[in-house]
Amino acid sequence: MENEMSNIEQNVLATSGSVQNIEKLTQNIEQVIKGKTKQIRLILTALIAGGHILMEDNPGTGKTVMAKTLAKSITGGENGQAIFKRIQFTPDLLPMDLIGSYIFDEANRDFVFKKGPLFCNVLLADEINRASPKVQSALLECMAEKQITVGETTFPLEALFFTMATQNPIEMEGTYPLPAAQLDRFYIKIHFGYVDDDTELEIYKEYLDIQQNQQDIQQVLSINEILELQKAAEKVYIHEELLSAVRNIISATRNNDEIILGASTRSGISFIKCLKAYALINGRDYVTENDLQILTHPVLDHRILYRNKEARAKLLYQILDAEMDRLSKLNLTRKHQ
Amino acid sequence: MFIERAHSWKKLGVQCILLALPTIFFAFVVLLKLNANYVILQNQWIYQGVYFSLGILLSLIFYSWRFRFISTALMLALFYYIGYQILKQIAVGEFDMFFFSVQYLIFIFIFSIGWLVGFGFSRWRFFTVIWVLFLLAIEIIIISKITTVTAGAIALGFIPVLLYTFYIIYASELIRNLNEHQSSFRWYLTKRVCGFFGVVILIFAVIFYVFRKDFTAIETAWKKVESHYNNEKSNSQRMTKVNRDGTISNTGKMPLSGSLSKTKQLVFVAHLNNFFADGTTQNPLYFTADYYTKFDSVTQTFATDTTRPFNDLFSPDPSQISLFFTKSDSNAIKNSLATLNRKVVETDVYKVALSPKDYLAPSTAFSIQPISVPYEYASQYSSAYHAKMWVSSLNSAYFVYNPAGNTMLEDFQKTRYDILRQDSGYNGVDSAFLAYYTQMPQGKSYQRIIDLADTITSGDSTTIDKMLAIRDYFLSKDEFGQPLFQYTDNPGEPGLPGANKLDYFLFTNRRGYCAYYAGATLFMLRALHIPSRIATGFLTVDRSSKNPGWYWFYEDQAHAWVQVFFKGYGWIDFDTTIPDVNTQQAPQPDGTPPLGSQKVAFVGDGTILKVDTLKKQILLSVEKILYKDRSFTTAQNPDMRLSVAFAKVFADTGAINLTDLEQGMHITAASYDEKLSHLDFQKAADTAVNILSRLPQPVSIDEIKIIKEAKVVTPNKNSVRSYLHGFDWLTILISLAVIALVIMIIIILLPWLIWRFFNFRARKNLHFKQRAILYLLNQMGYPRDFHSPEDFAQQIDRQFGTHLSLFTKVYQKEKYSHTPPGRQEITEAAATYKPFVQAVKAHIPWKRRVVLFLNFYHPLHFFIKNH
Repeated sequence: MENEMSNIEQNVLATSGSVQNIEKLTQNIEQVIKGKTKQIRLILTALIAGGHILMEDNPGTGKTVMAKTLAKSITGGENGQAIFKRIQFTPDLLPMDLIGSYIFDEANRDFVFKKGPLFCNVLLADEINRASPKVQSALLECMAEKQITVGETTFPLEALFFTMATQNPIEMEGTYPLPAAQLDRFYIKIHFGYVDDDTELEIYKEYLDIQQNQQDIQQVLSINEILELQKAAEKVYIHEELLSAVRNIISATRNNDEIILGASTRSGISFIKCLKAYALINGRDYVTENDLQILTHPVLDHRILYRNKEARAKLLYQILDAEMDRLSKLNLTRKHQ
Repeated sequence: MFIERAHSWKKLGVQCILLALPTIFFAFVVLLKLNANYVILQNQWIYQGVYFSLGILLSLIFYSWRFRFISTALMLALFYYIGYQILKQIAVGEFDMFFFSVQYLIFIFIFSIGWLVGFGFSRWRFFTVIWVLFLLAIEIIIISKITTVTAGAIALGFIPVLLYTFYIIYASELIRNLNEHQSSFRWYLTKRVCGFFGVVILIFAVIFYVFRKDFTAIETAWKKVESHYNNEKSNSQRMTKVNRDGTISNTGKMPLSGSLSKTKQLVFVAHLNNFFADGTTQNPLYFTADYYTKFDSVTQTFATDTTRPFNDLFSPDPSQISLFFTKSDSNAIKNSLATLNRKVVETDVYKVALSPKDYLAPSTAFSIQPISVPYEYASQYSSAYHAKMWVSSLNSAYFVYNPAGNTMLEDFQKTRYDILRQDSGYNGVDSAFLAYYTQMPQGKSYQRIIDLADTITSGDSTTIDKMLAIRDYFLSKDEFGQPLFQYTDNPGEPGLPGANKLDYFLFTNRRGYCAYYAGATLFMLRALHIPSRIATGFLTVDRSSKNPGWYWFYEDQAHAWVQVFFKGYGWIDFDTTIPDVNTQQAPQPDGTPPLGSQKVAFVGDGTILKVDTLKKQILLSVEKILYKDRSFTTAQNPDMRLSVAFAKVFADTGAINLTDLEQGMHITAASYDEKLSHLDFQKAADTAVNILSRLPQPVSIDEIKIIKEAKVVTPNKNSVRSYLHGFDWLTILISLAVIALVIMIIIILLPWLIWRFFNFRARKNLHFKQRAILYLLNQMGYPRDFHSPEDFAQQIDRQFGTHLSLFTKVYQKEKYSHTPPGRQEITEAAATYKPFVQAVKAHIPWKRRVVLFLNFYHPLHFFIKNH
């Protein structure tokens, strides 16, 4: 017991440096993306939890800049910088456009595999719901398996593979909405949203500086460090009551008349991973109810199929609030030595 | 044309089950009760219930489509009309038609109510409120018909309607807000309805349990006042009233009311030694209790004039006069002013149900002597007295009719009319006296009475002829040979409230009981300037019993008649009430008269000094004695020993036990011992002390009567209220108000009290501090709601400049981290609590804080999350 305790402390100590780097990364991004601290933290949570993120919003809210800046801030790729790829999804996109394909090499008289854009560290999949389901499922398979199988050969993806997908909120013609099972693969779904009026004015005033900042992004975090952070996140302590809180929330979504499809067990696991990652980002080696409150919506909302809009607007809040209320009343005071 | 549905079939089903079914059930009950009270409904409550059910169900189904009300109601009216026409075709004969149309009208009425209720439930949001008001009104009418009030009857009357009222309002709101798409809505409804009944029954049960004594008190209080209530019930009237102790007295007033209620209770028995000139034929005289000279034209009531400017009544309280001692006062009757044909008549009255305080005798009495009831009759008669009066030899109970074929009586009548015809009118009579006894109310309707009196008596010159003319008018027949006037106990009321009832009686209805005849006669006489008044008391019925001179008086003989003043002869009784031809009275069985009074030898009156229960002797402090029919009063109060071993003890109410005698009681002790009357004594020098000294002590006493000292009783106009005083409504109301106030205060203070509790508990640890902080902020209008704890803390910190973020951080660490925070950290966090509370208080002015603490919604929101 004593041993285990010190182990965890060591881990926290070991990662504490990287935790500070995360702070730096946040600041880095904030130089370019103004007024989006919460979203940045959630994106980083998905990154540290080893998952992917789905951003739902209108064009021009800073999604691409965000992805680019994130990629730029990470060192250790081929050019000493994380590989950033962006794919604009269209209905005529084919899976091989993503994965890559065998091309006949005249010199060697053989087929060689030309890697597609998926072989990168940070992938921005723009307007993912405009691609055909075939393409969507190809992408989502890669996201889950972190490998690509073409023919008989299996190509592993980069150790750090982080997808940031965007989709338009309005149902437009020529879109293929992601099925619930595929949405489940995204650990977190965030709404980027417009910034508030003050921030917007600030952006307009300082857009030149912001563009400059974009060029001068410093690399603050290496891929290795991120991988280490991912490992460290796994070791963050989560109290049993919080685990049961997660369990309660998940099962509450399943036993509600207003919900057609509740959250799965997999989403529960993702939830816990995200909780741990979020705690780590905030410099803690333990999860708190605060994390639960902040993450419940981004993690669970897109995995639940509601009966109607009203239910979507309030149900999860009610479920969460009941749980938060329970936790708030819970007296877990320990006897001090 | 497609008409949209207003409610789905599912909702309609719910409406039928939750709204219509209870309403139908309740309607059956109400209809049953209404049928019990109203003849017009013809006791067909089951049919009526079915009509109602049909109405409500059809209407509910019909209006579950979006039909407009007014157009459809017009259609319904058209259907009614068509139905009526069809019935008319079918019906054979006039009687059938009448029968059908009444039935059909009832059907239309009840079905329409059902239809309207159905529409209300279906479409009209606030209808339930109107509906329950309507039902409550009906229920109040039904309850007012209860004749025997018991706690159970009141509860049964009110609780179902209350329960229904609350239920129907609750259920209609429940259904209105029902989401029938919810998958578990049946379970939801069941839960709600069961929960509602649970709560309501619990509340009722608690109220009943707590106030059960008061409920039973209603019953006991009612039992005491029931007879009074029935007496004073608006449209029924009795000639007598029942006292607190169950005895009977004459009422002090006589309203002209719609009906008269009578009982067959024996009130008293009297022996009257008044006979006609032949010395054997009884001449019964009415027993007068009081006379009425005042008439209140607003309430149409005859009453005793409390000022009595020409008092002509000797009204002692027999219960306050010592046994065998005589009280007489001929001064009291000086206004009878009778000098001619006057004789003294004696009567013995044995009371049965008559109040011990009442004194009844033929007018005009001037003397009373309480006498003892013979021992063998002690169980029948409570007390007795002997009375003397001056009676005109022209007076008799016979006036309207004579026993058939009795020539002696007819001669008597003729003779007395002839004597009275010699009467010289009213010259020389005190004008104030005349004015007092001839006054009558003014007005058009009274002018009609005057005109009638003038018409009736147009050919008559003397008072007695006018009187006879009035009598004959009441006995006259109309053009069809039918009696013009009829006797009835239920004459009914004129349609117009406050109308002149005598006018109604004389010209329209011509049916009434004694009060109407007496009242009408009185005003006709007064219209002719004949001094007259209404006497009230008991009708003496000569049943020619085997005991001459004995008369039995039952409650239904309570009566009112007219007394006419004749100069020189005083007041003479004339009874113009015509006999009741419709109901033949069964002859009342006359019992055995209480004969066998013993001659009293000695009576001593005084206060008990000592009671020796062992020797059965009493030491009496004598105040006055009666010896050989002479009474002696003494101021020395000599002592006297009485042997009471064989004495019978009586109180006003009848025989009681010897052991009930106590020291300090005022008693009258009588001895029938003949030896005592043979004592020698010098008549001249006799004093009470002298006689006592010669009596052999202890004196053997045969009868003792306890005299209850007269309490100064202020006349109780509303005796009902005085009874209810025992059942103290005011106290109950005040205590209820106080309880309500305390509960209110507690509710008002509750949020603050909870805060005090939280604040007190906050000393323990961080967790309770956090709870206290959250509660305080919630109460101050800053609920955390959907904010995450840290966001919330930051906001609050910005608002109040506090260190809640620090506190929250440490608290969360302490709560969830694997390694608890250090001691110092915790202390620091704990230290932020007091400054935090102070900062919040400093930021919110105390007035606002008070207002916020009064808000009861905030704690509700805190403890029950209700988004």
